[in-house]
Formats: sequence, C-alpha cells, structure tokens
Amino acid sequence: MMSDYGVLLQQVVNGLSLGAMYALLALGFTLVYGIIELINFAHFNVFMISSFVGMWALELLGISGQSRVLTGLALAGALVFAFAVTMLAAGVLGVAIERLSLRPLRGVPGTAAMITTIGVSYILFNIILLTVGAGSENYPNPLPVVRWQFGEVMLELKQLLIWGVALALMVALHVFVSRTRLGKAMRATAQDAEAARMMGVDVDRVIVTAFFLGSALAGAAALIFGLYYNYTSFIIGYTAGLRAFTAAVLGGIGSIPGAMVGGLLIGLIETLGGQLIAVRWTDVIIFSILVLVLVFVPTGLFGRATPTKS
Amino acid sequence: MRSTRVTLPRDWTLGLFGRIPARMRTPLGIICLTAAALLFPLVNGSDADIDSAANALAFAALALGLNIVVGFAGLLDLGYAAFFAIGAYAYGVASSWQVQPEWSSFWEPFRWLDLVARYHQAGGDVVHFQVSFWLMLPIAAAIAAFFGVLFGAPTLRLKGDYLAIVTLGFGEIVPIVARNTPSITNGAMGLNGVAAPQLFGYDFGVNATPYYYVGVALVAFLILTSQRLKDSRIGRAWMAIREDEIAAATMGVDRVRFKLLAFAIGAAFAGATGTFYVAKLQTATPEMFMFPVSVMVLVMIVFGGIGSVWGVVVGALLLQILQSWFLEDLSEWLHAFGRLVHIDWLQRVQLASSIELIFGLILVLMMLYRREGLIPATRRVSGLSLEEQTAEIGRGGFDGLTAMAAWDRADSGPLLEISGLTVRFGGLVALRSVELSIPARAVVAVIGPNGSGKSTLFNAVTGLVPADGAEIRFAGHDIARLRPHEVLERGIARTFQNIRLFPNLTVVENIMIGMHARLAAGPVGALLRLPANRREEAAARERALEILSLFGNRLLPRADHLAGSLSYANRRRAEIARALASQPRLLLLDEPTAGMNPAETRELADQIQSLNRHGLTILLIEHKLDVVAMLANTVIVLDHGEKIAEGPPEVVRRAEEVIRAYLGRSAALASV
Repeated sequence: MMSDYGVLLQQVVNGLSLGAMYALLALGFTLVYGIIELINFAHFNVFMISSFVGMWALELLGISGQSRVLTGLALAGALVFAFAVTMLAAGVLGVAIERLSLRPLRGVPGTAAMITTIGVSYILFNIILLTVGAGSENYPNPLPVVRWQFGEVMLELKQLLIWGVALALMVALHVFVSRTRLGKAMRATAQDAEAARMMGVDVDRVIVTAFFLGSALAGAAALIFGLYYNYTSFIIGYTAGLRAFTAAVLGGIGSIPGAMVGGLLIGLIETLGGQLIAVRWTDVIIFSILVLVLVFVPTGLFGRATPTKS
Repeated sequence: MRSTRVTLPRDWTLGLFGRIPARMRTPLGIICLTAAALLFPLVNGSDADIDSAANALAFAALALGLNIVVGFAGLLDLGYAAFFAIGAYAYGVASSWQVQPEWSSFWEPFRWLDLVARYHQAGGDVVHFQVSFWLMLPIAAAIAAFFGVLFGAPTLRLKGDYLAIVTLGFGEIVPIVARNTPSITNGAMGLNGVAAPQLFGYDFGVNATPYYYVGVALVAFLILTSQRLKDSRIGRAWMAIREDEIAAATMGVDRVRFKLLAFAIGAAFAGATGTFYVAKLQTATPEMFMFPVSVMVLVMIVFGGIGSVWGVVVGALLLQILQSWFLEDLSEWLHAFGRLVHIDWLQRVQLASSIELIFGLILVLMMLYRREGLIPATRRVSGLSLEEQTAEIGRGGFDGLTAMAAWDRADSGPLLEISGLTVRFGGLVALRSVELSIPARAVVAVIGPNGSGKSTLFNAVTGLVPADGAEIRFAGHDIARLRPHEVLERGIARTFQNIRLFPNLTVVENIMIGMHARLAAGPVGALLRLPANRREEAAARERALEILSLFGNRLLPRADHLAGSLSYANRRRAEIARALASQPRLLLLDEPTAGMNPAETRELADQIQSLNRHGLTILLIEHKLDVVAMLANTVIVLDHGEKIAEGPPEVVRRAEEVIRAYLGRSAALASV
C-alpha cells in the first residue's frame, strides 16, 4: 500500500512524462504564433495523423502490438527510424497546410486564417475517420517493459525515453534558433516581420521553417503518445491539442522556453489534479487555467506577445 | 449578320422580375417565403421530413444568434453551443422530473402560479417543476443572456483570436459541468421526461408539425430582430466595433456596453433555441452541445455569409437539409453506381458520416475563395456616371453651414486647457509636462518634426492613451480620465493621421456612426421601431446626407458606396464629415491635407476656415506651413515631447528654437 505522499510523487513522475509530450506539442503552437500570430487549429490533427504515420512506420519494421520486443541496437535503430519518418512526414504535412491553405490568406485581416485552420483540422480528422475508421488502434511498441523502483516511486523505461527525446529535441531547437542563420532570421521575423523583410530575410522561408519545425515536433509528440499509451485513435488530437495549447498560453505564447515550462506544468496539473480532485474535472481545471491566464496574465509566464488589443 | 445575333432577351426572368415595382419586391418575396414555409407540412406529409425541417429551423435560429456576435460585432465565438446548452437545460430542468425538492410552504405561491405541482410520495411530498414552455422561452433567453455577459466580460480586452480561445474554453466547460452534475442534469444519461409544450390544451407530444410551426415563428422573429437591429443605431455601433474598435470608441461607441450587448443578445437567441430544441427532443445530453456543434453553427454562417441575415439562414437550412435529406440519397446513388461499375469502395461510402469533412472543406474553400459567403452582407453598387465623377475644385469653404450649425457661439474663454501632460511608453517619454490652452473659437495648429508627440497629444486628449497625473479641462470639466466615447460625448471629435474610416460600411453609415452619441435608440426601440425611433432614424439619415452635401458632389453621389472604395482625398473628407456629424465643439484634425494636391489642399483649408467662422474651435496637426499660416491664430511647436514655442504663425516661424528643431543647429545660427 502506497502512502499518499508516494502516490503524489508517482503522479509527479507521470505528470512530467505527459508534460514533456505537451511541451513538444506546445512548441508548434508557439513557433507559428510567434511568427505570424496565428492560432493554428490544424496542429491538433497534424499530431493525430502523425501518430498513425508513426504506427505505420513501426509496422513497416514488422512490429505490431506489444509482443515483439527489441533491445540494444535493434531497438535504437527502430526508434530512430520511426521518429525520423514520423517527424519528416509531420513536417511535410505542416508545410503543405501552410502552402495550400494559409499562404493565400496572408495579409487578410481578422480571423479568416484561424477559421481556415479549423477547417483544415476537420478535414485531417475526417480523412483518418473515413480511411482508418473510428476504432482505436493497438499501437506497435518495441520497448521492453523495464521498471525501476525508487522507494515508493516507479520509473519506467518509456518515461526515460520520453524525457530523453524531449530534452534532445528541445536542445536541438534551442541551438537551431539561437545559433543558425535561419534561426536568427526566425527571431528577427518574430520581432518585426516587416523590418526583417526589408533587411533581406526571406520571410516566406522563415514561415515555412516554423511550420516544418513545429509540425515535426508534433510528430515526435505523436509517436511518444502512441508508445506511452499503447493506442491511437482519430480522436486524440482534440484533447491533447487543447491541453498543449493551454500549455503554450500558460508559458506565454510565442515564447519557446515558455512552451517547455508550460507543457510540464500542464502535465503536472493533469495528473495531480486528477489525483487530488477528480479526473472528471481535469478538463474544467485546465480550461479554467486557459481562461484565467488569458484574461489576467495574457503574456503568460515568459511571454512577450500581447494578446490584448494595442 | 446582325439579325441573327440578338433574337431572345438574354435573361427573360430578369424582364419578368423587372416588372414588379422595386418597392414591392421585398414584401412580395417575404410573402412567398412565408407561404412556402407555412404550406410545407401540408404538401410534404412525411413526419420525418417535417422533423428534419424543424431541426434545420433550430439551427437557423442558432446561426442568427451567432451572426449577431460574429457577423455584426466581429467577436469570434467558438463556444456558442454553451448558450444553447444553458437554454436547453433551463427548460429541461424546469419542466421535468429531474429535480424534486421536498415540498414546503415556500413553494405555495409558485403552485398558485402553476409553475410547480405538489406530488404525494411515500416519505414526504415533493415539488414537481412544470413551467410552461411559452414562459420558459423568454426566461431561458434571459438566463442565457446573463451567461453571455458573464462569459463575455472577461474577453473584452482580448484580441480576436484569443477571444475565440476563451469562448472555446467556456464552450468546453459548460457541457463538462452538465455531465458532472448528475443531480441536476442526470449527467451523461441525459434528462428524461422533459414535458412537451402545450397550447390551449393541445399537447405537442412527439408530432413534428407543431414544432415545425414554432420553429418557423422563432426563426421569423429572430430574422426580424436581426434585421431591425442591423439597420439601427445598435447595429451600426456593432459594425463600427467590428471594423475598427479604436475609431468606434472615438466616435462615441461605448465598446464595453455594445460588446456585452452583442454577447447577451447572441446568447439569448441560443437560449430560446435551446428551450425549443429540448422541448422537441424531450431530452438533453451533454454530447448535444460540444465543440462540433459550435463549429457547425460557425460553418453555417461562414457558408451563408458572415453578417448577412438572410445568408446565415440560407446557410443553416442548406447544410441541415443536405445533412438529413440528401447525403443518404447520395450515398445510395453512389452505392448503385459502384455496383454498376464494380468498384468496391464506392459501394461502401457513407457520406452521412463524412458531414464534418464537408464542413471542413466548406470552411477552407469559403475562406480561400469566397469570404463574403453565398449571400454577401454588403451589396456592390454600380459605378458613377462621368458627371458624378467630375468634381470641381470649390473655393470659399462650405455653403449652407448656417442652416445646420449647432455650435455654441456662447463659448468664450479657454475651451481646452491642458497642464502637466506627460505620456511615457516604456522608457520613451512621448510628451513631457505639456501645457496648453485653446481659446474658444480659435484655430490652433500643432507642428513639430516626426515623433515629436503631436499625435500622442491628440490620443491623450481623446482618451486613447492614459494621461495620468495630467489635468485636461474641457469647457471647465476635467476630462483627463474619461474613456474615448465619453470624450466624444462632451464634444471633442477627431480624425486620424492614417484615416480610420469603417471600410466595409457605406459612406452614409460611417457618417451616421458619428452621430451615435447624439441619437437615443436602444435595443428595444430599434426592435419595436416606435414612431419616435423612426423619426429619429429618418432625421439622422437626412442630416448625414446634408453633411455629405457640404463637400459638393465629392461624397454625396458615393453615399451608398463602401468607405473603403473611396479615393484617398475623399476618405479624408469623409472622416472629417464623420467627425462633424457628432456635433463637436472642438475638432481635432490630424494632418487633414496630407496626400492632397495643392488645389485640394486649398479647398479643404477654405472649408476648415468656414467651419471656424461658424463658431467651431479647431486644433490641427499640419505639416504644410502655408496651410498653418493661413488657418491658425496660434501655433504650438512640439519637439521631443516638449513644447518649445507658441505664438502667432509669423512669430513662431522665426523662432530660433523652431528652426533648430526642424533644420538643425547650423541653420538656426545662419538665420540669426
């Protein structure tokens, strides 16, 4: 019998795992918002579709269900392959969405672009619903079930994997944004697109990059989702997407460290709120945070963007 | 050759339609529509079809409500189904067996009013709620309106897309609360035994036809309400907020009040519709009010035409009818075709389950290719004749001002007094301890290099930037802490350097928004169109045309054109006309002649002068120094946020400080 304290600690560990996934997903909202001030609802279902892509990639390697366990180099190879394929496919999907449906609307004032992303999200959702169906799919998972017990807290291999992948991707993103030429162009565009354009920054390329990176991170999050929960379904985009969006807002939308911290916080709130209050109220808690942050601290924890009218 | 070409009139229907006098077309159209709506159940006897039609009407009502919020006021609401839910549960709880408190004498008056009944049960009597459907329609609307204000209030400061997210949040919270409070709502199981409406002892039961007629009446009432609000002071204020919130506020529209009013009325539509819908279904589950429902209503108004009353009704009806009638048939045809050509997947396609795919496609395609929807809210007007287009440069200022001048010639002494005005933006000091005094009936010009704080001065006076610690007195009253619309009400109107007309409203509507603060019609007056309101509206329109006619034939022939289609100079004129419509005592003009050629500049300068001759006090920012010299009694020079000179134009022009600010130190030395 675990003590209350032990239960809470375990929920912290679980929350940090979920949070790492939300952080990856939140980065996609924040990257795009930071540059073109668009709330991208299509991101929800880029995440969802990517989880299927990840599933197919693993199945391509002959892995189905949880029966076939890999170890060592074989495991590493399979994971690298699956992450690479999923992230690439997600990135390409994100870029395609930008090119086909959002670029023509650039410069149109108001909410037209956001409404379009709702439409795109619906289309992606229904493509999976109509082709794969409404059932939930058993996710191929080559990870061996390895658990370590630290006192009352249990740590699983898959949690270590999540943390490792999330950390590696975030460090890579940080290096990209702060060190590379394109990363500098991104930061410049985020501050003042017009000035960046006049200084010779190819703003279109920056926007495409933001969509590619954001979507690729959603792809990584999607594969993590599948490996963590061992299932996927056409419906996973909405809840996870809204929570990740809340994370981005909580951290301060447009801020990359904000999305990371916000993601972890939302993961913790989800597991601890479920533990301390009730799972059925989790969504109310998270949406209340969303509303309260937007209304009272619209810049979030790290934000520089101003969601209020100038 | 020639005789073979034109044999038939190109469009004979147009000829037929053209024979109906123009003023009869709308009433005739409405009579035909009403007749068709009333006769439908008699022609089509199928209960299922009538039932689908009744559902479609419920969604048309929702679309009309969302159109008030999104279409008129421009506030994107992604959680609109929350108000639908609130209205549905309000009636559902008030006329079902769900909540049964113990009987006490408290309930006696309610029983007397026939709102509750006393039921005998083992273990004590209980209260049974049986509030009449007809009574609940307005009550549910009022409850939903209350929540509309409650959910709307926190979003007032937020930008469009964030407002959408907050409303989405509320839209998620409401059904979850409904699911998690089973003692009131019976949770996910759904309310059961909601009473059917009764009318003169006739119980509606599960027969679709009476619901259909109630739906027709509801939609007709909501169309009338929408149409009347749209063509009123209220609708104009909403659309002004939608087009340009800042300009709306400086023209006298109380943003907070009118946004909340839009939320309240939009929610009220949904509340009444919720009551209708739950009475028809006789149950309510949380799943009926989730995000997809909010999106579906949004799709309907995007499809029909955001802001267009008939458009959103058509959009809602078409999509609902598509969903309930045609998709099944279409699927069957596809299956038959698939069998014919031996294509396997064609025989399995279920179009009905892909309705959301169609919704998604509609959203994307409409946004990309036809943002104004099927029936656009604004009609394009034909071009002008050559005669109407040629404007002669007029000289000598406005004619006919005497007839309409409402300026208080009794104003004397200083009209506007500012002292200690400091405005900071972060570390930048835009204005530093500015003092100025503007005598009544004067023309004062503010000049200074770019970035010297001239426009900030206007923004501080009109309440757009906070003037903390400053004293700004207008006609003896402190206005430093007033909000923009209150400043206008006191009699200060302004134009903007970068012209802020309401581009998607007509010129005459723009002018009438200028009159907002001087008109009285409220929502009830707008809806009832009492004789007093009709007179006020007619007089306002007439006066707006009068003001337009001041500019000769430059604006008048374009009165019904969209303001966004005007030429640059005409936009400047229209903005001045809009400011004049508010009957200001002080007019602030921010670079009124910018972008005009010399002849136009001279014409406008004459006009400004004639306004002043008739008693209007004018403060203007102007870069053209000949205009300043011609118009101004006094010139104030700002540099780096400080007043560096003040005096008559010829004196200021020679002041060393001024030359230095404009031309640099060496020029100042050379001129001495």
